Amino acid sequence: MSAPGEGAARFGDTELPREQHDALRRATRLQWIGIAYLLSCVVVVFVVMGSSQAMKVAWVEDLLSLVPPLVFLASLRSIRRPHSPERPYGHHRAIGSAHLASAVALFGMGAFMVFDSGSGLLKAEHPPIGTYQLLGQTVWAGWVMIAAMVYTGAGPVILGHLKKPLAETLHDKVLWADADMNAADWRTAAAAILGILGIGVGWWWADSVAALIIAASIVKDGVTGIKNALRDLMDGEARTHDDERTHPLVGAILTAARGPAWVADAAVRVRDQGHLFHVEVFVVPTATVAVADLEALAARISELDWKLHDVVVAPVSRLPDAVRSTPASG
Amino acid sequence: MALAVAGAVVLGGCAAIPADPDGTLDRVRTQGVLRAGASPGADRIEVAGADVSGPEAAVVQDFAASLGAHVAWSVGGEEELVAAMERGELDLIAGGLTDASPWSDRVALTRPYITSASPDGERKHVLAVPMGENALLFALESWLDGRAP
Repeated sequence: MSAPGEGAARFGDTELPREQHDALRRATRLQWIGIAYLLSCVVVVFVVMGSSQAMKVAWVEDLLSLVPPLVFLASLRSIRRPHSPERPYGHHRAIGSAHLASAVALFGMGAFMVFDSGSGLLKAEHPPIGTYQLLGQTVWAGWVMIAAMVYTGAGPVILGHLKKPLAETLHDKVLWADADMNAADWRTAAAAILGILGIGVGWWWADSVAALIIAASIVKDGVTGIKNALRDLMDGEARTHDDERTHPLVGAILTAARGPAWVADAAVRVRDQGHLFHVEVFVVPTATVAVADLEALAARISELDWKLHDVVVAPVSRLPDAVRSTPASG
Repeated sequence: MALAVAGAVVLGGCAAIPADPDGTLDRVRTQGVLRAGASPGADRIEVAGADVSGPEAAVVQDFAASLGAHVAWSVGGEEELVAAMERGELDLIAGGLTDASPWSDRVALTRPYITSASPDGERKHVLAVPMGENALLFALESWLDGRAP
């Protein structure tokens, strides 16, 4: 099913199907390309940013967007390790921890930048933008900054749109959050450009306002990320890669659990451990049930999807409270 | 805001970018007076009574002449001059300032326009204009670039 030899072809003890295997290889390659590109952006923006507040915030955002790709590559190393009696659930939670770490980094820097730009605006700081001497011509530095922002704004948008489908295939929330941030990066660049043009026409406040808008969007990304990461870490019900709704597999598992004739009623508890789901199925049998039947049901549920790596079927006389026994509405 | 900025850029044309929020450059051109602060420093500028001289004083006078203006000097210590500039009372400061000046977050420094040797290494000399008066800064730096070294 999966080509041998590739180190990243498995998540813990779970072998990846061909599609996921290829997606993982492409995602890894994209992340390295992205890191190289972002490093070039960080250098370019640092060289030209001068005293523009919006450029400073855009630079910090470029620096911060290095965190998710690095965290993604680092977490791939740890989730490959198999589970053991000491680590009975494997190392998949590395994804959740990575998700939380990058979200907290976003939120912290965003909040600092809101404060920094806001105080600049309150103090009515007038940002000076001087000139460069290029090929014997004196050029306003604002034009150079705008060129730099066009360069840093274009690449992430392309990378983001390439990463999104891979994140969905791999059910990787770190990759998704990263792709989402990348895809929205043109807004940062556009805001910074408007801020600089604003300074150009003599609106000293335009730069700080642009910086505030960018910083506020970083804070928003951070808050959303923290909320979603915490839900997974606190064993919330598994949701789709974009955290938009309950994962459709939950309903599929419930249907499968109700399949056999010997099942009178069933309920499921599915949590996202990072890529892979941990599934507990409670079944109320119509009469005495054989262990082999329980095991066959667990095996059938595991085969529904590669993500269902750890399925436990428990026979009970009565379904426990607050466990999903009806499909999610949305 | 996007449309407003784009509109302003189109209407203004490239010649109007960068502009001064407080219109300093226009005022110097129309009134014919460049209000400059002088503080003695680094053998670049000397002050004797109300008389300001030295190579940096000459640079300022030539720049003012290029705008069709004459220089009205105010003499004082650097801190006094910086405070006056923040109150909008000065258009330029010449005080043997270098690119290492601690005033860089209160006034806008030009790129270094000349270097000189000193006991503690090379000095890169700059002039100062009010924060954010980018048309004036652009005019001054362009003029300094175009001037024979």
